[in-house]
Amino acid sequence: MTEVLPEDWLAEVESLKADGFDYFDWLGCVDEIGRRDCLRVVLVVRNVGHEAEPRTLSCSLPRDDPRIDTVSDVFAGAAWHEREVAELFGVEFVGGDHRRLLLNPEFEGTPLRKDQVLAARAGMNWPGAKEPGETEASPGRRRLVPPGVPDPVVWGDRDASQPLADPAEVAESAVGGRVRWRRT
Amino acid sequence: MTGPAPPSHRWIRLIEPACTSCMICARECPSWCISIDSHTEPISDLPPTARERTRNVLDRFAIDWSLCMYCGICVEECPYDALEWVGDLTQPESSRELLVQEMVQPPSDAK
Repeated sequence: MTEVLPEDWLAEVESLKADGFDYFDWLGCVDEIGRRDCLRVVLVVRNVGHEAEPRTLSCSLPRDDPRIDTVSDVFAGAAWHEREVAELFGVEFVGGDHRRLLLNPEFEGTPLRKDQVLAARAGMNWPGAKEPGETEASPGRRRLVPPGVPDPVVWGDRDASQPLADPAEVAESAVGGRVRWRRT
Repeated sequence: MTGPAPPSHRWIRLIEPACTSCMICARECPSWCISIDSHTEPISDLPPTARERTRNVLDRFAIDWSLCMYCGICVEECPYDALEWVGDLTQPESSRELLVQEMVQPPSDAK
């Protein structure tokens, strides 16, 4: 995997195509929150005629303003993948197609970012919240949250006068499991 | 090869004696379709010197087929192999409520 700077992205893809890697395989994105404060856009091209290994390019973008040049002028098929990454991760592809691909036009948010809260789940009764052997007559002491819903002290029950939780903290606490003990 | 294999991923069955009410399937289910009720009961046939112990008793195990997406994660995750795929189709029903299938039969006689 070759790490590329955002400003070199388009030129790098063009030069790979000129070198015979003229088959666009896929383009995707990874939310690196928790490791680094960035989104990583990944692109794979192949050289079908020859036995060369596929080439993977990767580019790290800041989470708060992810922008990268479109490569849809080089590989028309990349436009579909770019539109998908744009709406699921909130990455802007400069010069690309800005139409929605999968989500409703009214939908707000970036569903595949790891700090995206599944708010509808927070208000629902999760069947997995119960402990084994727990009945309504003898409720357990431990509380669990389902995956996608952060710990209530991070989101939800948070003191309204406090600033919003850091996205990394939201993402970390939204993997499901026991609610943290916090003494105030 | 003699034609396609018979269908097997159509319905999920609970093997009740193997279930320990551990809740793992209900927590892993991405579509929240498994509901479990259980309670604890003291084990009666312990040697007289043993300390008192309890076990979980399954009261209710229901799968809501209107929510289930047949992913099979519950079957994969069950550490006691208490869930299995069956080749029969789930029953069509006339209302959403009837698609909630109770898999533990209530005891026929109270007590």
